[in-house]
Amino acid sequence: MSATLTPPASAAPSGSTAPMIAIADLSKTFRRRDGGTHLALDRIALDVHEGEFVSILGPSGCGKSTLLYMVGGFVEPSSGTIAVGGRPVTGPGPDRGPVFQEFALFPWKTVLGNVAYGLREAGLGRSAAEAQARQLIERVGLKGYESFYPKELSGGMKQRVAIARTLAYGPAILLMDEPFGALDAHTRVRLQNELLGLWERDRKTVLFVTHAVDEAVFLSDRVVVMSRQPGRIKAIVPVDLPRPRRREELLLDPRYQRLVIDLEAMIEDPPEDLPA
Amino acid sequence: MTAIVRRLPGLPPLLACLALLLAWQAFAHWAARGGVPDALSTVRELPLILGDRDSLGAIAESLRRMATGFAIALVVSVPLGLVMGRSRIAAALLDPLFMIAYPVPKAALMPLIMLWLGVGDASKLLVIVLGVSLPIIYHSAAGARGIEEKMLWSARAMGMGPVGRLTRVVLPAVLPEILVGCRTGIVLALITMITSEMIARQNGAGNILFSALDMAQYETVYAMILIVSALGIALDMLFEVLRARLTGWADDPHLIAAPPS
Repeated sequence: MSATLTPPASAAPSGSTAPMIAIADLSKTFRRRDGGTHLALDRIALDVHEGEFVSILGPSGCGKSTLLYMVGGFVEPSSGTIAVGGRPVTGPGPDRGPVFQEFALFPWKTVLGNVAYGLREAGLGRSAAEAQARQLIERVGLKGYESFYPKELSGGMKQRVAIARTLAYGPAILLMDEPFGALDAHTRVRLQNELLGLWERDRKTVLFVTHAVDEAVFLSDRVVVMSRQPGRIKAIVPVDLPRPRRREELLLDPRYQRLVIDLEAMIEDPPEDLPA
Repeated sequence: MTAIVRRLPGLPPLLACLALLLAWQAFAHWAARGGVPDALSTVRELPLILGDRDSLGAIAESLRRMATGFAIALVVSVPLGLVMGRSRIAAALLDPLFMIAYPVPKAALMPLIMLWLGVGDASKLLVIVLGVSLPIIYHSAAGARGIEEKMLWSARAMGMGPVGRLTRVVLPAVLPEILVGCRTGIVLALITMITSEMIARQNGAGNILFSALDMAQYETVYAMILIVSALGIALDMLFEVLRARLTGWADDPHLIAAPPS
C-alpha cells in the first residue's frame, strides 16, 4: 500500500535523500508508582539513512530500548516526532521488523512455521510461504531444523530463527534490541559475524541497541552514545572502518582499538546527577 | 529391581492397588463392624452393577451431563479468562467477582439453584458449569497475563490486528496453562456431578450411590465409589494423552503455571 508513495530503493543515493528514520525532539516520560514522573528520554534527535547500520550504545536504564520500541511503534512518545520513510509512525508495521533479546518466537510453531508466519500473515499461500521460509532457514544456517520446536533449540539457534522470521516478511528496517545479549560469548561472536554477512548482502537499514562497545564498533556505520537519567544522546561517533569487516583483522586495527577505548571511556563516565 | 520396573512400568501401581485391596480386606475382617463390606464382596458387586441396563444407563446419563457441563464451561471460561488476562479494565471489573466466587462451594448453591430451576437437568448442569468454570478462568487469565509481551509485538509488526492476536497468538500461547485448568476442571466436574445428583435425586450415578446408602446396601455403595473413582482416573489419563498431543511443544506446564516474578 505504501509502494506508490515511497521511492524505489534504486533511486535513493545515500546522504542526499530524506532520512529513512527521522527522530526529532523525542521525549518519553513514564509515570512512577508514587505518582511522580520519570523522564526516560530527553529531546532525542537522530536521522538514520537508508542502508545505514546504526547502533545505540549506552548503560542499562538509559532508555535505548525504549527509543527502539518507539521507532517500532510499540511504545508511544510523550512528545516529539518519529517519521519512517517520510511518514509519521502511528503503530507497528511490516516495514519495521523487530528482533528481541527474548527471541519471542511462537513456541507452538515449528522453525518452519515461525519463519513462514509473517509471509502467511501477508497473504501468501502455504506452499509459497514455506518455500521462501526454507530458503531463509538455510541462509541463517538452520537447514535440517525446519520441524524443530523452539524449546528444542539453543539460544543461538532461537535467535537465528527470530532473525529469519523477521527477514522473511521483508521489512525495510531491522530494529534489533540487544539481540545477542542473552547468548554466551562464543555464540555471540558467531552471530555477530553472520549478521554482518547477511547485512553486507542486503544493506537493510538497521537500528541496533546494545551495551557492548566492541559489538557496536564491529557492526556499525555510526554509534549513538547515550547517557542515563535522563536518557540523552551524548555523542554520535562515525565508525570509519573499511567493509567488508573481518573480526580477526579488526581486532588488530589500531583505529578499531582507539574507537573501542574512546567509546568505553564515554559510557563509563559517571553520571553527574546520580541519585544517592 | 529397577530393571524389572523398567521392563514392566505397570507393575508398581498394580502392586499398590493390590496392597490397598488387601489392607481393605483385612480391615473389614478384623476391625470394622457393620457398614464396611470387605473388598472381595465389593469387587463381586461390580459385574452386577455394570451388567445392569438401568445402572449403566444412569451412569451414562451422569457422564453425558458432566460432558455437557464441561463443554459449556469451556466455551464460556476460556474467552472470559483470556480477556481478563489481557484487558486491564476487564480484570478490574471481573477480578473482585471472581475472588468472591472462587471459594464458594458450588454444590452448596444447589438447593438455591433448585428453587429457580427445579430438580431436573438444568440445576445440575448449572452446578457443574460453575464448578468447572472457575479453575479454567483462573488458569486462562493467569496464562494470558504472563504471556511474553514481545511475542505480541512480533505479531503486531507482521500486521496482525487485536482479534487475530487474541485468537491466534494469545490462545495457542496460553493453551498449556488452559489445559492445566481443564485437568482440575475434570475432577471438579466429577465431584459436582455426583453431589448434584445426591442433592437432587432423580437419576445418575450419584442417585444409585445414595439410594443404596439409604437402603444399607453397602456393597453397592462401595462398588459405586470404585466405579466413579475408576471413571475419574480413566478420564484424567485420557486427558493427559490429549494434553501431551496438543501441547508437546511446550515446556513443563507446571513451570508455565508459575511464571517467574
